[in-house]
Amino acid sequence: MFQIDFGNNGEIICCGRLDAAQCEKAQAFMDAVADAHVLDFATLEYISSAGLGVLLKTQKRLVESGGGLKIINVNNHIHDVFRFSGFHAIFDIEKSAG
Amino acid sequence: MQKKLNRSYDSLEEMYDLTERFLLDEAVEPAVRFPVHFVMEELFTNMVKYQPDNSNDILLAVNATEGGVTVSLTDYDVDAFDVTLDRQVDIDAPIEDRTPGGLGLHLIHKMVDSLNYDYVDRQSTVTFTKGP
Repeated sequence: MFQIDFGNNGEIICCGRLDAAQCEKAQAFMDAVADAHVLDFATLEYISSAGLGVLLKTQKRLVESGGGLKIINVNNHIHDVFRFSGFHAIFDIEKSAG
Repeated sequence: MQKKLNRSYDSLEEMYDLTERFLLDEAVEPAVRFPVHFVMEELFTNMVKYQPDNSNDILLAVNATEGGVTVSLTDYDVDAFDVTLDRQVDIDAPIEDRTPGGLGLHLIHKMVDSLNYDYVDRQSTVTFTKGP
């Protein structure tokens, strides 16, 4: 199960497991996002390399227009995936407190 | 645990549910479960993506080993694709030079303890281990 939607403060909330079967849904949502946005991963348990592709494609488009994504509340496992992928150099990333 | 999975991304949820239940029953800790699920998905989706004309099921086998796990995925009547070969990815490249895709095998190598590939009679078997 994967869900993506806007939160009360305009942040983008991702929930569940972003695997390859869910990337079309995630990409369709992110393609409609403009400017700078916060992605809240507090309830995102898992991301695959296909999910990384959604993030990278969106970030490239937003950076070209002067925007970009900040990703917050990233769990330790997803943080490792970001680190192994070199994403810290191209995204603003904050780990979860827990 | 063994299961034949339909060759479709729609099988990912079933693969996750079956494996997670097995790993919880075997008291495998989260630090092992996450990379196991990650690597399984990368290997499975590669098989689906790069052998599109094949309609055979893919065989998943998961065994517990003293806090760790051995997983194999077997694909039938396919061309060889050795996932153990090193494929360079420049993770330090600036964003303008990065393109979506290509990270899967790089991440597999980062997450497993061992990775083995066998190809016999057009049958591909990838086996990996992950310990605590």
